[in-house]
Amino acid sequence: MKKFLAITLVLALVVLGVAAKVKPIKLGAVLPLGDITGRQAANAMKLAVKEINAAGGVLGRPLELIIVDDEMNPSKGAAAIDKLATIDKVDFFIGGMSSGVHLAQIPILKKYQKITVWIGAASHLCEKALAGADWYFHLHPWDYQQGAGYAIGWKQILEKYPQVKFDRVFLAYEEGAFGTASYKAYLAMLEQAKQGEGPYVGLVKEFKGESFKSAAFGGGDYRAVLRLAKEWNPDAFIWAGYDADALPMMAQAKEIGFAPPIFIGAPPGWPADFGKSPLSEGVVLYGMWAPSLNKVSPVAEHFYNAYVKEFGEEPATYFAPLGYTNVYFLVEGIKKAGTLEKEALIKALEQVEYESPLGETLKIAPSAVIKHQGFTTQKILQWQNGKQEVIWPFEVQTAEFIYPFPKWEGR
Amino acid sequence: MAETKTHGRHQFTLPLLAIVALILIFIFKPYAVIYGVQRGSLYALIAMPLALTLGIVGILNLAHGDFLTLGAYIAYWIFNSTGLDPLLSIFAVAPLLFVVGAGLYKITVSKVLRAPLLNQLLLTFGIAMILEEVINLIWTSRPRNVYVNYASASASIGGFRFGTYEFSYLLAAVGVLVLLRLFLKHTRLGKAAFAVGQNPKGAKIVGINVEMIYLLIFSISVGIVGIAAGLTLPRMSIFPLFGSPFTLKSFCLAAMAGLGNLTGILWSGLALGIGEALVQSIEGYSGWSDIVFFGVLIAVITIRSYRGSYV
Amino acid sequence: MKKLGMLIILAVVALGFLFPLYAGPYPLHVMTTVLTYMALGLSWDMMLRTGQLSFGTAGFFGLGSYAALLTTLYLGLNPLASIFVGGVFAAIVAFALGYAILRLREIYFAITTLALAGVFTVVARNLHDFTGGPEGKILPSAIFNGDPTKVYWLTFSVALGSILVSELFQRTRIRFAITAIRNDEITAKSSGIDIFKYLLFVFVITSAIQGVVGGAYAQQYGFVSPESAFSTNFLLLPIAMCLAGGIYSTLGPVIGSVILGVLSEYLKLRFPYGHLIIYGVIIVAIVLFMPHGILGMLKKIAQKTRTEVGGNENEK
Repeated sequence: MKKFLAITLVLALVVLGVAAKVKPIKLGAVLPLGDITGRQAANAMKLAVKEINAAGGVLGRPLELIIVDDEMNPSKGAAAIDKLATIDKVDFFIGGMSSGVHLAQIPILKKYQKITVWIGAASHLCEKALAGADWYFHLHPWDYQQGAGYAIGWKQILEKYPQVKFDRVFLAYEEGAFGTASYKAYLAMLEQAKQGEGPYVGLVKEFKGESFKSAAFGGGDYRAVLRLAKEWNPDAFIWAGYDADALPMMAQAKEIGFAPPIFIGAPPGWPADFGKSPLSEGVVLYGMWAPSLNKVSPVAEHFYNAYVKEFGEEPATYFAPLGYTNVYFLVEGIKKAGTLEKEALIKALEQVEYESPLGETLKIAPSAVIKHQGFTTQKILQWQNGKQEVIWPFEVQTAEFIYPFPKWEGR
Repeated sequence: MAETKTHGRHQFTLPLLAIVALILIFIFKPYAVIYGVQRGSLYALIAMPLALTLGIVGILNLAHGDFLTLGAYIAYWIFNSTGLDPLLSIFAVAPLLFVVGAGLYKITVSKVLRAPLLNQLLLTFGIAMILEEVINLIWTSRPRNVYVNYASASASIGGFRFGTYEFSYLLAAVGVLVLLRLFLKHTRLGKAAFAVGQNPKGAKIVGINVEMIYLLIFSISVGIVGIAAGLTLPRMSIFPLFGSPFTLKSFCLAAMAGLGNLTGILWSGLALGIGEALVQSIEGYSGWSDIVFFGVLIAVITIRSYRGSYV
Repeated sequence: MKKLGMLIILAVVALGFLFPLYAGPYPLHVMTTVLTYMALGLSWDMMLRTGQLSFGTAGFFGLGSYAALLTTLYLGLNPLASIFVGGVFAAIVAFALGYAILRLREIYFAITTLALAGVFTVVARNLHDFTGGPEGKILPSAIFNGDPTKVYWLTFSVALGSILVSELFQRTRIRFAITAIRNDEITAKSSGIDIFKYLLFVFVITSAIQGVVGGAYAQQYGFVSPESAFSTNFLLLPIAMCLAGGIYSTLGPVIGSVILGVLSEYLKLRFPYGHLIIYGVIIVAIVLFMPHGILGMLKKIAQKTRTEVGGNENEK
């Protein structure tokens, strides 16, 4: 009972404080605050709200951001939606990270049918569960879209750099949901390619995958899978795991003397000290954003500097600019619609073209199941001199592609 | 009494079987043996102190793995502020963790020894939670690494090329085992600790300071974890939940070896390590490697129960 | 006195049952989760009363989750019936395994149940075509189309059922057998109690409860995956709640789960960063200052006031 008292008290104070002015537009965010991705996304959202309010708000009303921790726990994440909807009475839902948490939230989101703009949850299972939800906007590429995007990227890279080969590809994937989804997506697309369809036609001739246990879950010995890859001798080696796997993966590859011409890492984030290690040089990575975009995108540069100034730390994951985008995209839509009315706002959001700090313009288009999908591709980047440089798309390229992957000797 | 008899027979058959199996595996999957020995030693090194606390103080420490995390972060901090090599920092980390252990024992553990059994379980659960979250608050969930080039060094014998660094786990595990055994068998303090583990009431009657022994053993255990922390830092990523899976693994090894059997932990660690590495090396089935761990564990425990070792 | 007690109990049950009528969706959701943990905690405590420390709670919970969800998915079984199937499936597995592992004692039993849960997880993760592998499976819609009131009543019934079973264990002949086993197995044996039969009985019943809870949870959200179904949350949190509330009783786990469950939610809203630290500190404080749990503490206070008032009560 004390809890409810406290909540009503806080609520009353907030209402009293603001009622004197104008009623704010409320954004309810659910994020895993204990994780670096969620924490930085939350920070970036706060930054965006602060900027927008300093510029006079939207429709003459200020924004109010309410963030609830999902603790990476499905039932907590689902309860958070209920809390935001009924206690805080938010106008919109934003946020998101883990697909497992999101699957539990989807039945609750469906209950309220408020306009929702989500930046996480890449699993196609989530998309399947959201079939027909026209109030739902998903900004992060779905798992299968990411794979398709890389194919487009590599084809263009092969054209620009004719010496590069991408015929034999080996995928080492972590055995959990994240890695396995990536593996299955590759299998499906390569199967399509055999029938002459899809983005992988004429790109990968041979493919092989093997799983490993991620260090994030108590594993961290990759030598068996690395050895298998070495014997198979691929043109490109990709590992799909977590940030904790990054440096040990390189160290163990060096240990067994495995240096494929293209060494690709595809974790959702990178460890703090990765760039400091000489083993990072030449590693290709898939991601949506890198600080080096500052060189080519003024929006990215503005975001980066403002974030560092506000929080005294670097944005370390692409979920930071994505969280910033999350708020701005919604606000652009509201501005365009001139109202919070649902149907009109959905129409407006469908037409928004927002130049994001991720180095590309955000535009909504249908994906395989849902009507409102945002970004569809990730970028291809490369670690050079301890920094992530953009290789593709070429419009935002920040450095030349180093090929082949440098040998281990002397590192 | 039955226990000693079966033990006598085991002493010949089990090691013999193990050696035959090892040779067979080595012929077909040499790398599985090397990797298995390396990882298995690490499991054993971390499990020994847990077993020590469990056997003598009678506490199942759910925060055991989190002390590993804490130690690794201390070593990381030392490395970043002074540049001291992680291996050398063991000489600072282990004593520091010893003190942390002693402090925690004094403030919390000693208060619950007379409370109902299982309260220690809840206590260490709470401590684990606090440690993990404090670390998360200070260093965030973003993994940290220390790079030293010797950690990825390798050697070649004939056609084999294998990493050398992880053999330090084996060295450390054997070293700790030998020292602990010497301590428990040949020093007055150690003998007293052993007696407390066997029969705390009796030990008290003979005039042993049981409280002091508990304090000492608990702190030594936490201190030993510091050795593992310094050893793993150059080789692994550290993050707030880095150590917690090792609690479960250690618990498994302690049970598989049987309470109070430190040498058995090393053997169990090696067996499970090799089993895991073996499955990992089979193409297409690496996802099943955890089942070896659990399967062997269940098999050993149940088979031994039918032999009447501890019903 | 007894009449008053019955009245209080009935009032609390009625209050719990009518909760959806006076509470909003958010408290309802939180209470649904609390009731899930309450039922799990009770089942764990019932096993503990025999002296057997089980770490298999999350394992049987997960089995129930999978059995319920997959029967609905593949056989089109009614979700409510599938929850029952989840319980039956967990019970059958427990019955088969019980023969092998109930001879074990103390940490050997504990670690074996934990390892079995590990085996279930690995199997669920690796049978890709059947279980959906690491990604799991989803249903087209959650049970009752996600109606929170009905979901709450479902979980409430499961929790109430566990309470009733727990009370039956406390009040019938079984109790004497169980307590005898826990306190002194050898004497129990010599007094003619078939220990193994009782242990197996309790193990099967408690596993069935865990399976039902798992089934209800899976249907509540309409999805199942190894990570969520076998999460250690479903092992450690119920244990923590029981120990905090007070073990070897029905009331202890009930009190513990309500207090810790609501507390964790409150702390999270109050302190977005670092709330788990405070939660941990509170748990440590409970152990240090209330060695017999919250229930033990309450009893002590009640006793004190009683003796201070006059001490004419004859209950101990």
